[in-house]
Amino acid sequence: MTDQSAANLFLDVPALLQRSIPRAPGRRFAYVAGAFFIMLIFSLLASAPSAPLLPQFIAIVGMLGLIVAMGIISTSAARSARREQNEMQAAEELIQLRRWDQAAIMLDNILSRPARSPQARVQMLLYLCAILARYHRYTDVIAVYDHLLELDYQDEHAVHALRLGRAMSILHDDRLYDADRAIIELRRDSAAPNSAGLALVEIYRDVKTGHPREAIDLFHEKLPLFRRHIGHRIADAYALVARAYDLLQLQPDAQAAYESATLLIPEPELHRRYTEVAALAGRYHPASIPTEAP
Amino acid sequence: MTPTELAIARLRRDLTLTSLVKILLFAAAVFSFFIETIFGQHVIAPSLALSAIAIVWILLSYRSMKGTRLAALSPALIATGQFEQAEQHLDLALRSFSLFRTVKLRTLHYLALLRHAQRRYAESALLCHTLLSQRLGPISDLTRSTQLILADSLLELGDLPGTYRALSSLYQHHLSLSEALELLAIQTDYLSRIGVWQDILTGLPRKLQLAELMPSQKSARTQALLALAAQKTNRPDWESYLRRRVELLADIPELLASRPLLSHLWPPNP
Repeated sequence: MTDQSAANLFLDVPALLQRSIPRAPGRRFAYVAGAFFIMLIFSLLASAPSAPLLPQFIAIVGMLGLIVAMGIISTSAARSARREQNEMQAAEELIQLRRWDQAAIMLDNILSRPARSPQARVQMLLYLCAILARYHRYTDVIAVYDHLLELDYQDEHAVHALRLGRAMSILHDDRLYDADRAIIELRRDSAAPNSAGLALVEIYRDVKTGHPREAIDLFHEKLPLFRRHIGHRIADAYALVARAYDLLQLQPDAQAAYESATLLIPEPELHRRYTEVAALAGRYHPASIPTEAP
Repeated sequence: MTPTELAIARLRRDLTLTSLVKILLFAAAVFSFFIETIFGQHVIAPSLALSAIAIVWILLSYRSMKGTRLAALSPALIATGQFEQAEQHLDLALRSFSLFRTVKLRTLHYLALLRHAQRRYAESALLCHTLLSQRLGPISDLTRSTQLILADSLLELGDLPGTYRALSSLYQHHLSLSEALELLAIQTDYLSRIGVWQDILTGLPRKLQLAELMPSQKSARTQALLALAAQKTNRPDWESYLRRRVELLADIPELLASRPLLSHLWPPNP
């Protein structure tokens, strides 16, 4: 079974979005508060000097029981929170290590039940986007981003990051008109001038729409920004600019950019990420890597 | 801004106070069982006294949550460079009362993280030492990240024996991926300072894979140190490969300013 078909068997996005919604908080707390209130009334009645001994004893035992129950509930809540945190960390690690099928299974499992907090759910949905993008399920990725953007965010940087992910997925999905609108929206963000992600999206758009000159100019203008912010993903920018040079028939420049890209990220991985870059396979040499380990 | 020494003094005072409050509440709860025996039936019924203690406990727990919420916001603020706001949140969290010592200890950990991000390494190291001297109990997972902050702070301060001690204690733990990345960056830096070049290159392919997962600057610095090790051990193929990668990833003058040792790879123009 291929990775693609394996992922399609699970990761039912609408269902996961629905099932992962956190339960209304405080239901347990309301039960305990109610029981506590009842016990308080009972204690008041049982504490009358004329009251028999048995109700007084029941009041004490009941109150003690309640205190113990509260302790158990808070301990179990803390334990579940810790478990969720560990699961999130494990999913993140699997994604970082590019163990996509394992990460997909894990997230499918985690998102199939209500999250403990809205923040944890958002984080896990972002991981889900990364996995879906890996399997080229861009329609699903866009659906998740749309869902996340409907939530009320206060943090401008978070919104910008979500819009970036959405715009990139729209481009991958070849919805060029929508991508253009998404980019215009992104440019209005306060984070836009220093956004390496936006520059990468724009370069990709220019390559896709046949504007290689603009892509190359933007790449050179934003190179310091790429270096500061996107780490090894700078290879994506080099790969796209190699394609831009290739479109302009500037083979030596295309060769240099392609070599830079493949110096940082293996050739097959770049081809998998961008179909446009896959068109360069066999026409340009990848960077050579020392074979003998020191 | 809270001075670090004051924050530590406040933590110690609050931990003592927290223990006292808990002991008092527990003693009061035990005492409530014998209240009728001691004072007769005229004062208050045991169940009511117990209810009153439970209410006090709940109110104090609720109040403690305020500090938890305040402190929980700070890691994201530190990560995005909003140090001023993080400082304010941590200051409020340290001032607020908490019934749970873990809340206070976690806040101190975030303060150490903040001081490290602010490059105030001496204060960061002091906070880490204080934290590690405490019994962390259910938040013992903080030990690893505190040791990492301590190791890096001591390295930046040039305390190599201290860095060695902090690093060696980490080998006894099972690390998460992000902690392993942090450890690799610090360890490579440390080994380059003591000049153990061959050791730096041990397991190079795996180290490279990990370095690729690091944030930009840290990744570039680690790979540059690996390139330097390759140069020192006469491996020109690896030196050239790694140096070219670093040139793509980082601004070289900036890198040299942070680690002058790397000028062996990029000698200054005559």
